Amino acid sequence: MKVKNLNQYSSYLSRYTELRFQENHTMSIAFLKGNLVQNYKNSTSGVSARVYSNGSWGFASSPDTDNVKYVIEAATQNATFLDVREKKSTTAFTADNPKSEKDFGTKKTRYTQNEIMDFIQGLDSYIELKYPDLNSRTVVLNCLDMEKSLLTSDGAALYSLIPRSYFRFSLSMDKGSGPVEAYDTAGGLGQFEDNFSAPDKLFGTIDNLYEHLAKKNEGIYASAGPKVCALDSELAGILAHEAIGHTAEADLVLGGSVAADYLGKESASSLVSLVDFAHTYEGKDCPVPIHIDDEGTKTEDMVIIDKGILKGYMHNKKSAQHFGVKPTGNARAYEYFDEPLIRMRNTAILPGESKLSDMISSIDDGYYLIKPSNGQADTTSEFMFGVVLGYEVKGGKLGRALKDLTISGVAFDVLKSVTMISDDMTWSNTGMCGKKQLIPVGLGGPAIKCKINIGGR
Amino acid sequence: MTDILNYCYTSLTKANVDKFQCVLTKSTLYEMNMEGNDFSLIRTTIDNKINITVIKDRRKADISLNRINERAIEEAIKTVIELSNTSQQDPDYDISPKQEAQQFTSGPDKPDTERMYSLLKEFIKKVSASYPMILLSETVFSHNHSLTHFINSNSVDFSINKGIYRFYSLFSSKDADKTSSFNYSGFSLKNLQGELLEHGSLNELLGQSVEHLHAQTIQGKFIGDVIITPDCLDDLLQSYIATYLGDRALITGLSLFKDKLGQMIAHPKLTLHSKPLSPEVDDGYFITSDGFAAEDITIIDKGILRSFMISLYGANKTNLERAKNSGGNFIIEPGDKNFGEMVSTVKKGILFARYSGGMPSANGDFSGVAKNSYFIEDGKIKYPVTEVMVSGNLAKLFKNIVEISKERINFGTSIYPYIQTNGVTISGK
Repeated sequence: MKVKNLNQYSSYLSRYTELRFQENHTMSIAFLKGNLVQNYKNSTSGVSARVYSNGSWGFASSPDTDNVKYVIEAATQNATFLDVREKKSTTAFTADNPKSEKDFGTKKTRYTQNEIMDFIQGLDSYIELKYPDLNSRTVVLNCLDMEKSLLTSDGAALYSLIPRSYFRFSLSMDKGSGPVEAYDTAGGLGQFEDNFSAPDKLFGTIDNLYEHLAKKNEGIYASAGPKVCALDSELAGILAHEAIGHTAEADLVLGGSVAADYLGKESASSLVSLVDFAHTYEGKDCPVPIHIDDEGTKTEDMVIIDKGILKGYMHNKKSAQHFGVKPTGNARAYEYFDEPLIRMRNTAILPGESKLSDMISSIDDGYYLIKPSNGQADTTSEFMFGVVLGYEVKGGKLGRALKDLTISGVAFDVLKSVTMISDDMTWSNTGMCGKKQLIPVGLGGPAIKCKINIGGR
Repeated sequence: MTDILNYCYTSLTKANVDKFQCVLTKSTLYEMNMEGNDFSLIRTTIDNKINITVIKDRRKADISLNRINERAIEEAIKTVIELSNTSQQDPDYDISPKQEAQQFTSGPDKPDTERMYSLLKEFIKKVSASYPMILLSETVFSHNHSLTHFINSNSVDFSINKGIYRFYSLFSSKDADKTSSFNYSGFSLKNLQGELLEHGSLNELLGQSVEHLHAQTIQGKFIGDVIITPDCLDDLLQSYIATYLGDRALITGLSLFKDKLGQMIAHPKLTLHSKPLSPEVDDGYFITSDGFAAEDITIIDKGILRSFMISLYGANKTNLERAKNSGGNFIIEPGDKNFGEMVSTVKKGILFARYSGGMPSANGDFSGVAKNSYFIEDGKIKYPVTEVMVSGNLAKLFKNIVEISKERINFGTSIYPYIQTNGVTISGK
């Protein structure tokens, strides 16, 4: 794409308008039990405009980037259609014109397609040869480059290229008592060349996964009911994102989320602080670094919970106007033809002062839960996460592995039960959040000790 | 469209690939969006997509792009051939054989925007009047139109002109400091007949949402009956198909039903069809993604497995017969008891209204939260429940069917009854 500057179109923008050029490149290669079942590239590009008219939005898009005038006119017509019927007469947004150019693309020489395929086959062969007792194995490479240029009628301007690339390994084993699976991922922000240098650098991840799988094959079913658990960072991250983060998105607050009742109140243990980071954590780029959002707002970190007190919500321009606060830069769109929605960026519980080992030692009868499969939550903060890797803890010691289980609870209640938070922080950048559109998000966190409901037999 | 596909055909033929297929789709979307009771956005998009698949020397690759000028397509063909050169050889890669050329048409080409607007206005008015505690979080009403042209090197030539209206709404209820879990439902329509609240299960679910302001927890754990609602059934059925009958399950050999074709896998009361061509289903389809004219099929006939749901590749890889369609558009035959009679036979259990759960294990074990559900005891629906977990096994769930209701709900995509089954572990606080 590389259309970095849209200033040539500024004369077309009369009402409040956002003009966006965008191209998403994806590549997906998947081996299933040694069979190449996916070998695919996609490119989707185009131009969109969103126009605001007295409180009503109109949006239009075209795959042809020469159609700038058309999309602005069509978006204006759409806004006018609503304006003449709804007559909202909302005031204009406060003008702001930040500018940013961020290119996270690799500066290295790009690998050829042959080199990438050899790399993946190297991983698949390693698994096949080293672990012949597996029933099945899956090696998947997913790459996504999102390249955007934005210009608003207020003069805000953005160019960004934000790539992610990651592997997903899934292994399965059946020793006669039914198939058991485990998975892990590796990679994150950056193109393939920046994340992966040689297959053998990933062998440790695979070996570790196999070890867990072998233990899980001999594993037990968790007992149903409330238990004290240590949730490792990925589970703490998904709890922060799914169960708390969504309730603090301003559009869902307006839609009745329980967070509407918690603002300024104690909503978690005083050990808990929870932040949606814009782009940087402790001087390093977050998994999904957003410097200006898709409405042209300069992004800022959004402190959702500070020492147990719910401090605020994530906003776009319209919700910020409704609540009488500054927009936080959470408006993001996935494809060129998508409108910006309020989305999280990099959501994490902040580290505490405990050690994970001490946390496990302090549990008499509970579980250490490590890896989520999927997660869902609703506006009451009641959540459910699938857990595909975990261990029982008896008398402060790790015991047998667990077969797949589900955990659930009311997130604000669970956060009130937190008694220990580890002093480390791990980010993951393989998640996609679904809310009308998909969007890449970063999840992070330390491990937390809390009380949670176990769904078991 | 024909010019572009001719260009693809000529270029791919010149490139000496062994087999290829090209699918060109031009789509337009007109979408009204609401936040709460407010119209927030009208969105119109036009998009193109061309998918090109090549097989050369038993090596395969796919590419798709939305720029359809000759230069972009030339570049894409070069890239996809390069991609296929890096692929491993696999004799099971293939494209569909020659079939009779066909043209399909369904639904309106253009949206009736004034009617859409007035239907939404009426929807808000009626929801506000009938359910004042409902908070509509997100409501989307769209018209999607697509022109699709499919060709391959075996002279397959299908064209499809499809228009469809789609509606969904996400909502919860709020009364002072009480908030219910969100719920949602939707449906598809070829034509805008009747009020929006008359379609699918929306009206019933809005009423249930208000009742859930007073949801209670269940104490303890028990194994009981569940009556699965039509909305909940879709999630469970999709998981069932993927876990036992789809490509991945059969290619990996992990499916418990891999040797069960022609055998009883579910209760004899269950007959499950996949009917994308049925006039009962507004939002069907005409061709499979691998280039076959879709057919209506019966997957499970009175409990007996009649078809796996595998693609051409999956069939070649496993030596099983490919499914005659791409799945979806499920229709379950009704039973002979009405919903009330089913409830009256439940000693202790739940009306299972939405499954929020983890991906089932490869053996079909599932575990999750029963959202928006109700406690049933001594033949009566007692109260709405919260924080209730369910666990069981998908194969057993459909083997243990007790009754299937006479009543069914047509979502425009599928038609589902209520299904009563047992052996599910239900646990509360």
